[in-house]
Amino acid sequence: MELGLKVEERTFLSKIDWYLVSMILILNAIGLVNLYSATHGISGEEMSTLFYQQLVWLFIGWGLFIILTIIDYQFLSRLAYVIYTLNFLALLGVTFFGKVAYGAQRWIELFFFRYQPSETMKLAVIILFAHTLSEKSTLGQGMSLKDLLWPLILLALPFALVVEQPDLGTAMMLIAIGGSMLLFIKVRKSILVSALISVMIAAPLAWNFGLRDYQKNRVLTFLSPTTDPRGTGYNSIQSKIAVGSGKFWGKGFRKGTQAQLEFLPERHTDFIYSVLSEEWGFAGSLFALGCFMVLFLIGTKIANQANDKFAALLTVGVMSYVFWHMFVNIGMVIGLLPIVGIPLPLLSYGGTSMLTTMCGLGIVSSVAYRRYLF
Amino acid sequence: MNTQYVNNPEAAKEYLPRYRLVYFLLAFTTVFFLMRLWYLQIIKGSELREFSEKNRIKEIKMTAPRGLIFDREGRILVENLAAYDAVILPQYVDDLEKTTKALSEALGIGSDKIIQKIQKRRKQMGPFAVVKIKDNLSLDEVFRVQMLRIDYPGVEVRENIIRSYPLGANGAQLFGYVAEVSKKQLPILNQQYKEKFVFSQGDLIGKSGVEELRDIELRGKDGYSFIQVDAHGRELAETDDKILGQRIKDIEATPGHNIQLTIDKDLQEVAYKSFTDLERTGAIVAMQSNGEVLAWVSTPSFDPNEFSKGISPELFSKLIRDPFRPFRNKVIQDHAAPGSTFKSLMAIASLEEKVVTPSSIINCPGLIRFGNRPYHDHLRGGFGNIGIFEAIERSSNVFFYKMGISLGIDRIFKYVSLFGLGERTHIELKRETSGLLPNSEWKKKTYGEEWQPGESLSTAIGQGFVSATPLQMAVAYNTIGTEGKVVKPFLIKKLIDPTGQMIKENSPEIVRDLQKIQPNGVAISEETFKTVKEGMRRVVQGQRGTARAWKIPHIEMAGKTGTTQVKSFSADDIYTECSTRPLRLRHHGWFVGFAPADKPEITVAVLAEHACHGGSGAAPVVRDIIYAYMKKTRPELFADDKDQKTISIAPLPSASREPEIDGE
Repeated sequence: MELGLKVEERTFLSKIDWYLVSMILILNAIGLVNLYSATHGISGEEMSTLFYQQLVWLFIGWGLFIILTIIDYQFLSRLAYVIYTLNFLALLGVTFFGKVAYGAQRWIELFFFRYQPSETMKLAVIILFAHTLSEKSTLGQGMSLKDLLWPLILLALPFALVVEQPDLGTAMMLIAIGGSMLLFIKVRKSILVSALISVMIAAPLAWNFGLRDYQKNRVLTFLSPTTDPRGTGYNSIQSKIAVGSGKFWGKGFRKGTQAQLEFLPERHTDFIYSVLSEEWGFAGSLFALGCFMVLFLIGTKIANQANDKFAALLTVGVMSYVFWHMFVNIGMVIGLLPIVGIPLPLLSYGGTSMLTTMCGLGIVSSVAYRRYLF
Repeated sequence: MNTQYVNNPEAAKEYLPRYRLVYFLLAFTTVFFLMRLWYLQIIKGSELREFSEKNRIKEIKMTAPRGLIFDREGRILVENLAAYDAVILPQYVDDLEKTTKALSEALGIGSDKIIQKIQKRRKQMGPFAVVKIKDNLSLDEVFRVQMLRIDYPGVEVRENIIRSYPLGANGAQLFGYVAEVSKKQLPILNQQYKEKFVFSQGDLIGKSGVEELRDIELRGKDGYSFIQVDAHGRELAETDDKILGQRIKDIEATPGHNIQLTIDKDLQEVAYKSFTDLERTGAIVAMQSNGEVLAWVSTPSFDPNEFSKGISPELFSKLIRDPFRPFRNKVIQDHAAPGSTFKSLMAIASLEEKVVTPSSIINCPGLIRFGNRPYHDHLRGGFGNIGIFEAIERSSNVFFYKMGISLGIDRIFKYVSLFGLGERTHIELKRETSGLLPNSEWKKKTYGEEWQPGESLSTAIGQGFVSATPLQMAVAYNTIGTEGKVVKPFLIKKLIDPTGQMIKENSPEIVRDLQKIQPNGVAISEETFKTVKEGMRRVVQGQRGTARAWKIPHIEMAGKTGTTQVKSFSADDIYTECSTRPLRLRHHGWFVGFAPADKPEITVAVLAEHACHGGSGAAPVVRDIIYAYMKKTRPELFADDKDQKTISIAPLPSASREPEIDGE
């Protein structure tokens, strides 16, 4: 019988965090089963091909995941500004070369792929924040205004561009992710209080001068969805009907009438969770939510055990990225938040979302891979 | 095996206290979402499931077949027929342009009109709602559209049922018609029949006659079929494997109750034909002596089938504006002065009050003066000394003027009111008018004036205030014929449910027997009835009877003619030939009669508007109906008649072409 401490060279496979990998795979599985149902309603082939496209994205995503697992994350630290700057330039480019879609300029056509710089910008911000914030020790008092200045500028630049697109959802996501990282490494209480006050003052100003009509509508609709059920409130109402009508056990796979008969809008993208809730009920909804929560716990543990502050912050950043997307998406689908075009990571159809999420999780995996000295 | 911490560098330990924040956030989110999901899926689950079912399932109403209406022998009077509509189901259409073009050729409607219809429907009901292109297709059109279906998916022929009235305009006011319920009526009906029936826009309801009166029994209960639709309104076929969830069983429609009327289809047809052949307008009612109505005609009429097909606005407004009011049920809704037909009732009052006896002879000159006013008879020279039989037979005005003077209005009222004049007969149909039988009290109440004795003279010959509906006259004469039995006329014999079970049967009802003492202390003797009946028999059968030209073989008829002034004429106008006047100013003609004269089985009242004479205007119609009735009930009696048309209209002997006023 040997001692508990075993010193030997770990193999590649044994260094992988299999908890992380299996949790992602479980969520992928849930996502695929659900997407299959969502894309095989009455509309026929046009929709069902999306399912197979998603399979392709998933494979590419896993490829990126593996590559990023192998690459030492320190490399990212060194490249932080480069990634950020290139991404920022791409974001600027969207304004000039982007395609007009849904009233907003969001992507660049790249060969077979619509590249959406605002999505990768989230990752770039995470990397850059991890890079700059890990350099100073800020615990104790928390960050001062002077400490915050540079990170806030780095956040404000892409934020301004994304707002200009206009894509308020993504812009708010940038704030949520950056804010989470800043809060994680602690910010002075006085600053938090004054920030809260200034938001309360700025909000009505933004409402009157900053928001476009459709954005205002969405918020108003959220506050009172029944005023215009065939108009802006339609999505919100149909989603709530879909979720609620699932009851405890759901209507069954491909039996969700709201989704299959297309009463549910955007059912393969933003409202994918409604499809799941309708067909799998409270039990299924809770299971999927639980899977996400376990993923976050695994991520937290990885951050907790990370080799250095950069790695820990990187993991926290990526996890906050997944978390806030999930939070806003499910929150909106179940009628707790206004309708914003935010996909549900790993479950919604969409190449950009899938690839970005898998890249982020690949970075987390890389952190996990390197927590062992031997 | 807790090996990890060994490798954990000090630097990252700085963040350890911050993970509490993360755990808190995750726990908060889980609870927050869990509560919301619980609320939506468990607490509100059933309610929201219902919403999702309402999204998915479309209710399609299957209109219950309306009950049929039969005559007394079970022959169809009102029925349902299949009608075919050409429709487009946009969800299956490949090429709308080609499809509309093909349909336009097959149906002879402009393609632009078809496209308009499609667009209008799309605007109202969404892109996949069924669009009706043309209704009531001819067989040819049905065939052509059926042929189109092969090359143009989405084109269909849909069957529905429409109400059909095989008799057409004959009896239209009696049977009524059906049309869509009006927006105004909808909330009223739904209030009235709360929970029992739900009326919705587009439902057909009975708008007049029996259709209206018994609408609730006739309409049955609509069924529903439940089909699945998608968000775009496309219907999913029964066999589609994409049918989700439980299929809801159809609710079958329950057909309405059938109604058997007392009407005899043969007599109804004879009555209508006889009347319209003479180009008469007005009303006919034939009644069995127990009150069962055998025929009921009001003309001019309209074709209720037009309403079933969807009447054109032009035709409708033409009918509405027709001065002869085709929608009016003149048997009960119009009342006219009874004219000389009132004399039979006067005779009863006079005999009962002993103002005259069957053997009294009274001098009847061509004119009498009363209160400085001359009162003419229609025969310029007068009738000389006549008794009551001849007075009725020849319809002497002066005779009954004298009766009127002797009796006074209130004694007239005392007797005549017992025969039902001035009150509704309470036949089932709606909007029956009561007519008017005046007395001094009424005059005082209405005009605040005393009754003038001269007014009793007008009343005595059925002019002035007195008015009656043809049905009231039929009931009154039936009372004379049956020697005192006032019956309640009725039309609905049986109500039968769709399985053939009888729900209700109406039986004859005698309202009062006038040979028994009535509440006003009056009883009428059998002898009086017999005397008046003899007078009435002579009207038809007698040598000088005003209707002697309208006998039938084998059976004796009794009756009384009447001519009614539409307008008061000056003395000079009185003798002008009626037929030279403008139509609207011509007299109405009455004939009310029964047969067999001694023990009548059938009583017929005819009011021929602007026909000038009761004899030539109305009596032939009564004769035709009674003849038809007798032939039907006594075929053996008429078997020998070689040519049944031998009794065709005989011209009135010129001698009796008396100038007519106030009777014949």
